[in-house]
Amino acid sequence: MQTTQFKKGRLGALPWVGPATLIILVMVVWPAFEMIRTSFQKISSTGLSNGWNGIQNYLTLKANPDLPGVLTRTLIWVLAVVFFTMLLSLPIAQVLNSQFPGRKVVRWAVIIPWAASVVMTATSWKWMLDAFYGIFNVIGLKLNLLKEPRDWLGTPTESCFWLIVVAVFVSIPFTSFVVLAGLATVPSDILEAATVDGASAWQRYKLIILPLLRPSLLVAAVINLINVFNSFPIIWVMTTGGPGYLTDTTTTLAYKISFRDQDIGQSAAMASVNFLIILIFIGIFLRVSKWSEKQ
Amino acid sequence: MKKFTRRTAIAAALGMASAVVIGAQPAPAAVELKMVAANYADMQPFWDGLAAKFAAANPGITVKVDVVSWETIDDKVKTLIATGQTPDVVNKGDYSAAAADGLLYRADEMVSKATLDDIVPTFLNNSKYNGVAYAVPDLASARALFYNKDILAKAGIKKLPKTWAELEATLKTIKKKVPGVYPYALPLGPEEAQAEFAIWAGGNGGVMFKNGKWVLNSKQNVETMAFLKKLTDQKLTQPNPAKCDRTACAQTLFASGKAAFINGSVFLPGWLKDNGGAGINLGSGSFVAAPGKKPITLGVQDYFTAYKKNGHQEEIKKWMDFIFKPDNYADFLKAAGGFIPATKSAGKNAAKDPALAPFIKLLPSAIFYPGDQASWPAVKGAIQQQVGTALSNPKKVMDALQAKAEAAAKA
Repeated sequence: MQTTQFKKGRLGALPWVGPATLIILVMVVWPAFEMIRTSFQKISSTGLSNGWNGIQNYLTLKANPDLPGVLTRTLIWVLAVVFFTMLLSLPIAQVLNSQFPGRKVVRWAVIIPWAASVVMTATSWKWMLDAFYGIFNVIGLKLNLLKEPRDWLGTPTESCFWLIVVAVFVSIPFTSFVVLAGLATVPSDILEAATVDGASAWQRYKLIILPLLRPSLLVAAVINLINVFNSFPIIWVMTTGGPGYLTDTTTTLAYKISFRDQDIGQSAAMASVNFLIILIFIGIFLRVSKWSEKQ
Repeated sequence: MKKFTRRTAIAAALGMASAVVIGAQPAPAAVELKMVAANYADMQPFWDGLAAKFAAANPGITVKVDVVSWETIDDKVKTLIATGQTPDVVNKGDYSAAAADGLLYRADEMVSKATLDDIVPTFLNNSKYNGVAYAVPDLASARALFYNKDILAKAGIKKLPKTWAELEATLKTIKKKVPGVYPYALPLGPEEAQAEFAIWAGGNGGVMFKNGKWVLNSKQNVETMAFLKKLTDQKLTQPNPAKCDRTACAQTLFASGKAAFINGSVFLPGWLKDNGGAGINLGSGSFVAAPGKKPITLGVQDYFTAYKKNGHQEEIKKWMDFIFKPDNYADFLKAAGGFIPATKSAGKNAAKDPALAPFIKLLPSAIFYPGDQASWPAVKGAIQQQVGTALSNPKKVMDALQAKAEAAAKA
């Protein structure tokens, strides 16, 4: 009797689990499978498959002269964006957590860059920084900070700097709200006790709040890591990875190899490598969330 | 009751799933031709109108035309082919890779002999792969050196430059006498860098492909990039040409009166009118050449291609001949906006058009892209992305591009 009921219970869940499973199979598993399959095939520039190609696509990718620079930049890009996002989100969350008139409005204001489409945000920034029509130049010239208009996205180094700024800007809302949620779990009685014991505000923050925030910080960091690594629109809208390949990450490079250099096989190889890196990140994420559950 | 609900839910879920599957494939009653066309101007109304007229005259055949922007049409067609949804007819800027893969009908299979005989021979010649025409040219354009007459007058320039040295001197004069204006708008950004490069290199006797080989790093081509570097370093162009796209950057600067010279296509005057440059006092002349070299222009032609996959040869032929009927073809040219016709019959009328006549005259000195090479799309992509960075180091970047071109030719 027990077993039959158990079986029924399992099957009964199907209508509820089924659609989600179907979506995952069709939208996630199948494309990933196709991508990996493509990376082992010889695809002509028109999109026609000419049979299996072994690991040739991966060897071509390894020999790509632009790859080392792109890998280095991807690493810098991910680390810099995640680091500065976390660094800025901590005080912002603290502000949002404190009581003051108009807090609701400020909370909404912080969410807006998250609610707005990333393409829209990146486009706005691109035009603000534009050499010929940008508002940065207008302000700089009117305040006599600049002698002549300059191209804020002129050199690759400068472009990378602004790309990171914009990526941090759009990552802060999510991160600060995760931290804010973490702050809500800090019990007020412990803080009161600490105050009674004569702990200063900084000591309370460093010794009580920060350790208790660790699980939320880890989750926020790993999710940001995945998001930033996969981020395509900011770079694509603001620089298209150019000039040349000097502001590309592996994500935009995969696109350019396919649709500019017309090498779909090599592009699929690049995408598969990206996929592998993401899997590693997700592995870390699962570990971390398990670890924080135990805490 | 509980059981009943569960079963109903399962049935409902399965029912929905099967409805989706069944709904996706209604049996087609007639042949529907699928066409993907590039958007010269606002082309969708023209194609929809023509398709309706065609369907009325040819019962049993309908045509669905998908108009796609120039930025995305290559990606779109490639994706359609890769996913087995190959279109029947495509109207875009290249054909050679598809011809090399054996995907295309020959030109004589896709139009009638009468239509084919009416195509301008030069253009048909540029539609061949291994000596056989696999595409029918739809129209062509040529380029000229445009200038802002008011700026030149302000700078006191009376004679147009003919050589590189004269051009450099002219640009310097403009820089000195008309501050706030970029003497030459140099778009080496990804959108159309291959055109700007081809024109400048052509003026130095440089080509991209010669004697069966890619020669992107030839002495002439490297010299050309070194000359452009010299202009840029002296601030005779707008800053950072490598990220300056043709439309959003160079043409827009020119339209707002901020640039004196620009390389422009036949459609530039029309584009200026529609994009805030109606007040520009426009002049045009031929391009400049290096010492001892002849000035050239760049001819660019686009194509109709027909794919074999769906086996609709008869229907395609009817549709293509319908497009090339003189009245319909005139409407096509009108919708596209000021291009050079690909047929002899329409060319006779165009030669009388004061806007087109100067370009048609330039055509005999035109160089064309090596569009007959299967690796051209890949090489074009590489040039578009990278040639602008050659302004920092001409030899190194042209060598890198050459290596890419050779790899693409082997693939």
